[in-house]
Amino acid sequence: MNAVSVIFSVARADFLERIRSYSFLATLLAAIYLGYAAATGKVVMSLDEYRGVYTAGWIGLMVALVTTTFVSLIGFYIVKNAVERDRFTRVGQILAATPLSKPAYMLGKFLSNFAVLASIVLVLALGAVAMFFVAAEDPHFRLWALLSPFILIALPAMALTAALALFFENVRFLRGGFGNVVWFFGWGFAIGLPDILKMPRLDPLGLIGAMNSLVPIARELIPGYKNGIALTVAGGHAKIAENLHFAGISWNSESVLLRLVWVGVAIIFTLFAAAIFDRFDEARSWFPAGATKEPKNSAAVAETTPEAAAVPELRKFTQVHLTPLDRTTDSGGFVRIFRAELRLALQGNRWWWYVVAAGLIVAQMALPLGAARGPALQFAWLWPTLLWSSLGARESRFATRQILFSCANILPRQLLACWLAGVSSALLMSGVVFTRLLLARDASAVLALLAGAAFVPSLGLALGIVSGSSKFFEGFYTALWYVGPLNHSPGLDFTGASNGPRTLHYAAIYALLAVTLLGIAYIARSCQLRDA
Amino acid sequence: MQLDVECLNKKYRGGVHALRDVNIVLEPGVLGLLGPNGAGKSTLMRILATITKATTGRVLWNKADIARDPDALRNVLGYLPQDFGVYPNLSAVEFLEYLAAVKGIGAAAARKRIGELLELVNLADVAKRPLGGYSGGMRQRVGIAQALLNDPQLLIVDEPTAGLDPEERVRFRNLLAELSGQRIVILSTHIVSDIEAVASSIAILARGELLAHGSPEELLATVSGKVWELTVPTAEFAELRNHRLVTSMAHRSDGVHARIVSGAAPATAARPVEASIEDAYLLALATRRNASSRAAA
Repeated sequence: MNAVSVIFSVARADFLERIRSYSFLATLLAAIYLGYAAATGKVVMSLDEYRGVYTAGWIGLMVALVTTTFVSLIGFYIVKNAVERDRFTRVGQILAATPLSKPAYMLGKFLSNFAVLASIVLVLALGAVAMFFVAAEDPHFRLWALLSPFILIALPAMALTAALALFFENVRFLRGGFGNVVWFFGWGFAIGLPDILKMPRLDPLGLIGAMNSLVPIARELIPGYKNGIALTVAGGHAKIAENLHFAGISWNSESVLLRLVWVGVAIIFTLFAAAIFDRFDEARSWFPAGATKEPKNSAAVAETTPEAAAVPELRKFTQVHLTPLDRTTDSGGFVRIFRAELRLALQGNRWWWYVVAAGLIVAQMALPLGAARGPALQFAWLWPTLLWSSLGARESRFATRQILFSCANILPRQLLACWLAGVSSALLMSGVVFTRLLLARDASAVLALLAGAAFVPSLGLALGIVSGSSKFFEGFYTALWYVGPLNHSPGLDFTGASNGPRTLHYAAIYALLAVTLLGIAYIARSCQLRDA
Repeated sequence: MQLDVECLNKKYRGGVHALRDVNIVLEPGVLGLLGPNGAGKSTLMRILATITKATTGRVLWNKADIARDPDALRNVLGYLPQDFGVYPNLSAVEFLEYLAAVKGIGAAAARKRIGELLELVNLADVAKRPLGGYSGGMRQRVGIAQALLNDPQLLIVDEPTAGLDPEERVRFRNLLAELSGQRIVILSTHIVSDIEAVASSIAILARGELLAHGSPEELLATVSGKVWELTVPTAEFAELRNHRLVTSMAHRSDGVHARIVSGAAPATAARPVEASIEDAYLLALATRRNASSRAAA
C-alpha cells in the first residue's frame, strides 16, 4: 500500500469513527443552527451603524467571517482528540506495532480533523446560499462571490486549526485542559496579530484581509465611517447603506497565495507534530510530563524487591487473615468522601500551581477592595478551571464508573461531596475578597460571590457528567470568563463585580442556575447509575 | 443468603439479545461462569452488580428485588469489573480510602481493612506510590483489594486473573476458595482450570442461554464414560477432527495424541480416560451448536 493510501485509510477510519458519534451530530446541529441564523438574517455584519445591501458578495463574506471566527475557536475543541482517542481506546498500541510511519499517521489525522471542520463550513456555506435566496436585496447571483470567502478564507483557517489541534495533542503540557485554555487566549491573540505586529500579511484567520477589501469601499460610500466592523450572530439592526453593493472580494494571485500559505503552514505544523509524536510510548515523549509525576520504574521495583527474589515460594498474594468488617462504625462518612473528593480534585497539581494560587489569594489582601474584586478575583477564579472541569468527568476519564456505581448510596453522597469540593475551592480562591466584603457589609456583593461560587462548580459538574469530558467546560467557561468578568459584561459577570445596581438580581439568577445545573447533574448521574 | 435470578432477559439497542430467560439460584459458594466470547457472561454480571438493568425478569437478593432497591445489595457487594480504571495520581492507600468512604465503611475499620488487603495482595511496599506507575498486574491486584473492601457477601469477579502472571493466578484462586465459605462468589473466566479448582457450582452460558448449571460432579456426569484418548498419525488427524469433538491434542513422535468426547469409542485403539470439566463444557457447547444447526436446517 502506498503512502497516500495509508494516509487516506487513517483519515477515513478516524473520520468515520467521529461522524458516528452523538457529539458529531450535536456539532452538526449547532452548525445547522448557525446556518439557519445566517439564512434568516440573524447574522449581521455592520460597518459602524451601517450594513451593505445584501448581495451575493456581502452575504458570502459575512457568513464566511462568522464561520471562520466561530469554527476556528470552537472547532479546535471538537477535533482536539484524534490522537487521544487512539490512546484511550488503546488502538494506538496496535498502530504503534505496525509499519505505519509517524508522518503518515499524523497527516491522516490532520485530514480527518480538516474533514470534520470542513463539513461544518459546508453546512454554513449552504446556509449562506439559502440566505441569498431568502434575504438577498440584490438578485444577481454570483456563485464565486458567494462561496470564495468560504474556500479561501474559512478553509485555510480550518486547515490551520486542524493542524494546531494535532500539535497541541502532541505537546504533553498542552494536551489537557491547560492547552484548552492556552488555545482560547492564543486564538484571541491571533486575531489581533496583524495589528499588534503591524504585519497585515500575518493574518491566519484572513479577517484583516477581508476587512481591507471592504473598508475602502465603506470609506467612500458611508459618510463619517470610522473603520469599525462588527459581526453579530444573535441578530442586530443596522441601517442599510443603499449605495453599498459589495460585489465580493476581488481575489488576485497574491491574495490567493497568501491564503494558501496557511495551508502550507498547517502541513508544517502537522509534520512537526509527527516529529514530536511519541508513537504511544509515554517514555519517549519529547515534552516531559507536567501534571502526573510517575515514580521511576515503580512497577519494576515492586515486582523484584530483594525479598521477593530471595523467597522462592509464591509471594504475590500473601497469607493474611482478613478481620471481619465492623459495619456499625461509619461516623463522619460524608466528611471523608468530601475530603477524598477534595484530594482527588487537587492531586496532580504541581507545586507551582499552589504558588500561583497562593499569590492570587495574597493579591486579594494587598490590593484595594475594588482591584481585589476585579483582576485579582477574576484570575483567582480562572486558575482552578482544570479542577472544576474534572468534577463530573473524572469517572468517565479514568474508567472508574463501574467500580463507583456499584457502591451503595453513591447518589447523592458522592455527587454532593464532589460539588462541595468544587464550591470549597471557589470559596478558598475568593475567601479574602469574601471576608473583606463581609467586613464592608456589602450584602449584595457577598451574596453574588456566594452564588458565583455555587454556579461555577455546578456548571463543571453538569457539563462533565453529561459530556463525559472536561473539554466542554474548559471551552465554555473560559469564553464566559472572558466575556463576563474580564470584559465586565453586566449579567455575564458571575463574580458579581460588574453587575452594578442589579447585583442582587443577577445573584439570584446565578443561584437559580446553580440549583438547575445541580439538578441536571443529579438526573444525568441517575441515568448513568441505571445503565453504566 | 440467597441470590435468585428469574427469567432474566437483556436486549440491547440494535436487537442484540444478550441474555435469554436465564434462571439460576445461588447460595454460598463459588459459581464458576463459563462461556465463549459474547455468551452474555459480562452482561449477566453487570446486571447482578446493579450496573445495568435487565430488559425483563428480575434478580432477588434475599428475596428483595435489586432493581427496586439496588442499595440493599450494593451494601454487601464486591465487584471487580473486567475493564476498570484507577485514578493515576492517587496512591493505592488513597484510592482504597476513597472507595471505603464511598462504600460507607468507618474510618478506623477502613484503615485496618486496607492495611490487611494491601498485605494480602502484596502491595504494602508500594502502597504510597501513585497508581499511575503500577504495572497491569499490580492494578489488577488493587482492583481485587477494592472488591474485598467491604467484606462482601456477594463477590462478583469478571475475568479477575486477566493480567496476572501464573503465580498470581494460583494465589488468587486459592484466595477465592478461602473467601467462599460464608459468601456467594461469582467467578467468570475463560480459564476452565481456574473454575475447576475453586467452583462449587458451574454455569455454562452460550448466546445468552444458560446451557447447564450444577455441581462439578453433575457436570462431569454428563460426559462420564464419553472421553477417549487416541493416538493417530499426523496425516489422519484432520479427518478425525472433522468428525469428532476433539477437546485437546498434543503432537508426539508417534503421532497426535487426541482427546475425544464421543458416546462410543471412536476407534478400537481408543482408551477411555477420566472426564474433565473442560470436556463437559466443550460437549455442552457442541451440543448447543448442533441443535442450532439442525433447527436452522
